[in-house]
Amino acid sequence: MKPHVMGWDREAMDVKRVVDVFRVDPESVGNGTPVERFPDPELGTALIPAARYYSPEFMKLEWERVWTKVWLLGGRGDDLNEPGDYICTDIGKESVLIVRQADGSIRAFPNVCLHRGNRLRPEGRGNAESFQCMYHHWTYGLDGKLDHIPDLCTFHQGGPPGMTLTALPCVEWNSFVWFSLDPNVEPFEDFIDPLKRHLEPYHPERMAWKRDVTVEWDCNWKASVDAFSETYHVQGIHPQLKWYLDDVNVQIDCFGKHNRYLIPFAAVSPRVAMPSQIPPAIQEIMVHAGMDPAEYEGRVSDIRRDVQLFKREHGAAQGKDYSELNDEQLTDDYHYTIFPNVSVNVHSDDIMLFRQRPHATDPNKMYYDIWMFELVPEGEEWPERVRHQTFKHGDKSIGQVLDQDAFNLPTVQTGMKSDFYPGLWIGDQELRIRHFHKVLDDYIYADGKQPTDL
Amino acid sequence: MDLGLSGKKAILIGAARGIGYSVAEVLAREGCDIALTARSEDSVKDAVANLSKYGTKVVGKAVNAKQADDYKAWISWAIEALDGVDILVPFTSAGGGMGSEKYWYNAFETDVMAVVRAVEGVIETMTEQQRGSIVLLGTTSVSEAMGGPQPYNAMKASLITWAKQLALWHGKNGIRVNVVSPGPIEFEGGNWDMIKGTMEKFYASQLRQQPMGRLGRPEEVAKAIAFLASDAASWCNGSHLVVDGGFTNRTQF
Ligand code: FES
Ligand SMILES: [Fe+2]
Repeated sequence: MKPHVMGWDREAMDVKRVVDVFRVDPESVGNGTPVERFPDPELGTALIPAARYYSPEFMKLEWERVWTKVWLLGGRGDDLNEPGDYICTDIGKESVLIVRQADGSIRAFPNVCLHRGNRLRPEGRGNAESFQCMYHHWTYGLDGKLDHIPDLCTFHQGGPPGMTLTALPCVEWNSFVWFSLDPNVEPFEDFIDPLKRHLEPYHPERMAWKRDVTVEWDCNWKASVDAFSETYHVQGIHPQLKWYLDDVNVQIDCFGKHNRYLIPFAAVSPRVAMPSQIPPAIQEIMVHAGMDPAEYEGRVSDIRRDVQLFKREHGAAQGKDYSELNDEQLTDDYHYTIFPNVSVNVHSDDIMLFRQRPHATDPNKMYYDIWMFELVPEGEEWPERVRHQTFKHGDKSIGQVLDQDAFNLPTVQTGMKSDFYPGLWIGDQELRIRHFHKVLDDYIYADGKQPTDL
Repeated sequence: MDLGLSGKKAILIGAARGIGYSVAEVLAREGCDIALTARSEDSVKDAVANLSKYGTKVVGKAVNAKQADDYKAWISWAIEALDGVDILVPFTSAGGGMGSEKYWYNAFETDVMAVVRAVEGVIETMTEQQRGSIVLLGTTSVSEAMGGPQPYNAMKASLITWAKQLALWHGKNGIRVNVVSPGPIEFEGGNWDMIKGTMEKFYASQLRQQPMGRLGRPEEVAKAIAFLASDAASWCNGSHLVVDGGFTNRTQF
């Protein structure tokens, strides 16, 4: 048991206590999620220019050099159980159909009719035997091949080349489906590296949809990615979480295109005095694990470890197989950013994933997808698929914590446009933000292109 | 007004933090020798170290009030260490909690039995001395609803009844027994500190019900306890003093 070096002086921070949290020994995790701290990349201390959050030029560059070049999260494999099941998902001005084939594989193609450009399907999910365009009934097979053009003889040039929609790369990994708008995209294995080893031990395929919501937010998509990349704002906008998690003893790791942080949950922040009574939110964690907080005789500071030990001992009897997870993972928040737009909190019993999509035309708007999944204990019935809901920011609550996150994003977006705001002034606790923008820059300014070449 | 506390010997249980610690501080400042305990060894050590600056004898040892034998042994140890006992104030409490039946047992053990055992542990010495002052802690939640129907509220109520009968029973031996019922008290690491951080709206609604627009501070209760514990309160026996800044709505007839 040795505390990780966080890279900052915990004593000099605005804290009431210096707390050493239990961390598992990196040697002990075997093939599981690596826990060792990766060396921090040299990312400097420069400003991150604000213009990238609102400039249409930058938005265009992102489209040309990022969104159309990377792998993108499309949906869940269990929404594609039967042949003909499809997911239709929009990204910017594009829309993509991901379809389960008769042979069990998946294929993806642009959701656009080759005749006069009509969309084949609205965004959402469904099952089809074929995709027939509503306009003139051009009909495509599940494989994207044009099976029928009414009155084909009246097209003297014949049908479009190859009589098929463009095949887009797509893969299924860890219960999720991924696609790319770039037919020449790098292999998914290379793109996702090294996260397979990190995320597969969670077995998301054992988890069922719990929540599927899309909210339109009045901010650039990157403002949202930023907001989920640091715990520095807990003391600002989530005061109640100080009696739920440790926002100071946070391990940050950056690797390749992606990054993560590990937050101790079921813990009390060093920013507040240790209470003698168990905080209500931590009681909930205990109850969820199957413990009775009233029976608990230990100290509040021991709860995190005791929940881990309890789950390790009783998980199997509850139909929950934690065998591939380390003890920390039984309580803590391992939070990954999968470049460019997936922020995912993985937990032993659930996954809370945010997909942040740009608006098609307006850099000041974005789509925030909340996807939550919950472990279905062995022997229990797989619950019915939740309905997808869409609304605008402020129309409905998305839960206390996320409401707090959402609350100041519109004012961040407007504030950043000020002539007196040159850019983001980033601290060490926000290292992931710096890393994310560095990866973004590597895409935008690849091949010797420069910011001045905008 | 001289409280006559100088040289008195006080046993304080659950006194490493909050109101308990504040009472220790007031009494030490007034010249009392003190034996104190709490559950956590570290916090007992800290409390003893911090209180030593007042120049009286301060001793402490951690004990779990639910372990009856250890706990009784601790009380004997404290009486011995102080060479007598003039004042007893037990603060033990399991706190709030609702839902699990276990909360009843917790409250019974910690709020009631730990107090009963403390009183029984000192009464013989006080009787021999023909002198002693015991202050028990109630709560405003015994008389006005707070936080739902909780074992804490009901168990605390039983202490108030019991305290009055103790006062009648032991008065002839020069032992006074009184109760102080604090309203919401805020201090770092206390419940209301956590409620302020986690349930902002509820906290604000409580503030609005406070005639003085704030919650109480531990030392504001501690001074009332110190008064009842002292000879200055020689004619207060079997009384119940509500110290809540006027928070409860009812008239304290
Ligand atoms: S646009 Fe699709 S059939 Fe004409
Ligand atoms: Fe947040």
